[in-house]
Amino acid sequence: MEPVLKIESLKKYYGKSKSQTKALDGITFQVMPGEFLGIMGSSGSGKSTLLNCIATVIQPTGGSILMNGRPIQTLKGAALADYRGKEIGYLFQNFELLDNLTGRENILLPLSLHKVAEKEGRKRLEQLTSYLEIQDVLQKFPAQMSGGQKQRVAAARALILNPGIVLADEPTGALDSKNAKALMEKLFGLNQNENATVLMVTHDSNAASYCRRILFIQDGVIFYELRRNIPEESRQEFYTRILKVMAQLGGGSANVL
Amino acid sequence: MFFKLISRGSKRNRKENGLFFSSLLVSILAFYMILSLSHQDVMIFLTRMECNAVDKLLTLIPVLYGVTLFLLFFLIYYASRYQLERRRHEFGVCLTLGMRRSRLFMMLLLEDLGGSILSLAVGLPAAVLLSELVSLITARLVGIGIVGHRVSFSWKAILWTAAGFLLIKLAAFLILSSRISRQEIGSLLAEKPDGTRKQMPSSLYAAAILSGILCLAAAYTLAVQGKAWSGIRQMGTAVTFGLLGTFLFFWGLRFPMELVLKTGKKNRKLRVFHLRQMQETVIHRSNTLATCSLLILAAMCCFGAGMSIFRYYGENEPHVLDYTFTGAQDAESAGKTLAEYHLDTGFSDLFEVKTGNIRTTDDYEHAFQMEPVMSALRGLPSSTDTEVLLNNLGYATYPHLISLDGYNRLLSAADLPELTLHTGEAAVYMDRSFTTFERINILNRILESEPEVILDQEKIHLTGTVQTTGLVTDRAITLSFALIVPDEVFESYTQGKYDVYLNGILAEDVKKQASLMSVILDLNQRLDQTGLSYESYLQNMGRQLFYMVAASYITLYLAVIFLIIANTVIGVQFLMSQQKSGFRYRTLIRLGASYDTLCSSARKQIDWYFGIPAAVAVCSSLFGVRSLLAGILPSSARSSLSEMMVISAAMILGLCMIEYIYITAVKRSSDRYLLTLMVPVREE
Repeated sequence: MEPVLKIESLKKYYGKSKSQTKALDGITFQVMPGEFLGIMGSSGSGKSTLLNCIATVIQPTGGSILMNGRPIQTLKGAALADYRGKEIGYLFQNFELLDNLTGRENILLPLSLHKVAEKEGRKRLEQLTSYLEIQDVLQKFPAQMSGGQKQRVAAARALILNPGIVLADEPTGALDSKNAKALMEKLFGLNQNENATVLMVTHDSNAASYCRRILFIQDGVIFYELRRNIPEESRQEFYTRILKVMAQLGGGSANVL
Repeated sequence: MFFKLISRGSKRNRKENGLFFSSLLVSILAFYMILSLSHQDVMIFLTRMECNAVDKLLTLIPVLYGVTLFLLFFLIYYASRYQLERRRHEFGVCLTLGMRRSRLFMMLLLEDLGGSILSLAVGLPAAVLLSELVSLITARLVGIGIVGHRVSFSWKAILWTAAGFLLIKLAAFLILSSRISRQEIGSLLAEKPDGTRKQMPSSLYAAAILSGILCLAAAYTLAVQGKAWSGIRQMGTAVTFGLLGTFLFFWGLRFPMELVLKTGKKNRKLRVFHLRQMQETVIHRSNTLATCSLLILAAMCCFGAGMSIFRYYGENEPHVLDYTFTGAQDAESAGKTLAEYHLDTGFSDLFEVKTGNIRTTDDYEHAFQMEPVMSALRGLPSSTDTEVLLNNLGYATYPHLISLDGYNRLLSAADLPELTLHTGEAAVYMDRSFTTFERINILNRILESEPEVILDQEKIHLTGTVQTTGLVTDRAITLSFALIVPDEVFESYTQGKYDVYLNGILAEDVKKQASLMSVILDLNQRLDQTGLSYESYLQNMGRQLFYMVAASYITLYLAVIFLIIANTVIGVQFLMSQQKSGFRYRTLIRLGASYDTLCSSARKQIDWYFGIPAAVAVCSSLFGVRSLLAGILPSSARSSLSEMMVISAAMILGLCMIEYIYITAVKRSSDRYLLTLMVPVREE
């Protein structure tokens, strides 16, 4: 099976030779179709830089990113905009809903951006809104929604065009634990039922426990990889293992497992 | 470090915000233009000719200066507000880092002062140059000639310009900076739009827009029918209806916008987004938009009316005569007097024009009858022109007579073919100010058949075309209807009792010595010693000019000020709200919106944002200008009202072009801002 996303020796350096910061220093990994991959690491470890490189928000210094076998660094103009809109779905920490658009208009925004007829997206809209339980807020403006509702609307927006991969940047960061759990269950459900590929950057061990595999990044390199043994390992057990790695991560390279 | 911050801030303001800097320059130009008015060539010329009237006009300058000060305050206020709003985050950071509010205030004050001084350093020389240019152009336009040009530079104007500019700048700064420095650090750091306002039921908005349209229709009707000018109360009613209508219309605009949102194609790129953006800005700024629309309307009315007045007073007969000597003296005695004072050599031609009444009869009602002409007119399809002609010619029963010889001398001086009249023939003379080209053409067609008319019981034929060349230099002396007759016929009908006007044309070599203005002014001084009673071309022109300058200069000046303020306010409002909703654009970028898509969405918003108030203003101005023209033009000019409306419409079209230029400038600004949002997005 071909990977959805293939990252090879990805580098991102900031500054000039003397005071250079290596945000990413040769990261290599793959994301397979239907995978739920988590990226964890402390602040400044390079996880957001990685996500931004994949989302084409920043240009890497070296290495390659292949999305469905296609190098994304060479994309320009309309092809680049299409990639951002159709091949990846982005879920932000702060939802990033447009506050002057209703829930429905927010979800349909990618359709209008990429010139897809509303008719085509209607079925998908109904399916997503019913699954994410946001039918009641479709006519409301973000200011009239709760945090959880906002993030679920944002999730529907990220998924409306059936992207090849969903990039989630700390999706539970701005939610309370109850709403965070509800959101993660929905994302997990989508991954399980619809085979949606999700790449999630998170600090939250609880959220990370929904992943099948977790990459721990430190100082710009992959420091450790954790896989959940399905079906033997329960989510709770996986969570405990994550916590253990996190504790050792805090101690630096002296505590390599 | 503190001063480094100030100088950097000041420099960045200028670099990043061209709109703000240009507004400052415009203010300086406007102040200087009005204050240096008394030093302009046209005004200097007028002061010599119509001293009292000009003095009265010049006493109005402080009032106009005050009005300009008041109006430009808003321009500066809005431009500065935009300037400070875009730096909110920076101020928030400064305060977070522990900068005292008083120090922040001082930093902004010094930055502002630096900017103001630089604006003055650039603006004042530019203003002096522009004022010179206007002085030269107006002098050339009105035909004074540029040889006698004087530099319009005035220290007093410079000082008052600097004082006025610094005053309004300081006032705007104090209001704005006190607002900024009172805000919470959190709100300074946050980049949030104004938020949603309470929505009223849409039926209320529908009712508002409907009543707005009705009010406007009522105001237009009152204006067009001319009822508005019949009294203060009627004028007040029309103005109130107009104002109320405009504000209601803009307030109710959210109803049609909601309708547009609900209908129409939704899959067009970002259509919903820019409609929602528009809706938000209209909701928050409906009153500002209405005010700007009214300002544009005021500008268009002033401009349309000003240009028409300029055209009316400026459109005069060709310059033929330089002097007319009046009084009882004949050409011989006047010529002798001139020779006595060695003034005759200055003239290339001196000739008499004689006019007089019919002295052979006392029957004023039937001395002249032109029934064939009247019946020919009655036979033409009914129109305003034929009706006016029938009415006016109905009174021409006792016309003045003009002797052919003098009139032919006049024609040859004007390089026009001379008239040949035999006994029993007469030509019709009508002054141009009493008629229009269309009416003259109608009469000319009738005169082709050489109709037979009765002049004191004698049958004569009217021949040739209608003559319109001015008889004397003074254009205030006109004849609405006269007959040009051969000299012997003239002598016989007037029985030797007639007026003689001695017309003089200056010799070419005299004119070449200096500008016409200085030649005539010198000659006038010498003529004053001769005791001859005379009227010079310049005195006459001065009178015409005074009307022209007084009315058109001020209206055009106000028009420009209104237009600049309205457009700057709209532009600044838009850019400010765009900046406040910057995070929305960032989200769109992340969702895959390309730079082109964002620019095109913002451009559409700008089109609408400018287009709505401008369209309402254009619509209103067509009625407004008509009403203004009907109200302020002299009755003799009413005949060409439709022609003037066409000129005004052309002017309004010209103003629309200016609007277009403004829109383009704001679009460029918006594009530049959106480009900054694309960073650190990789190159596309």
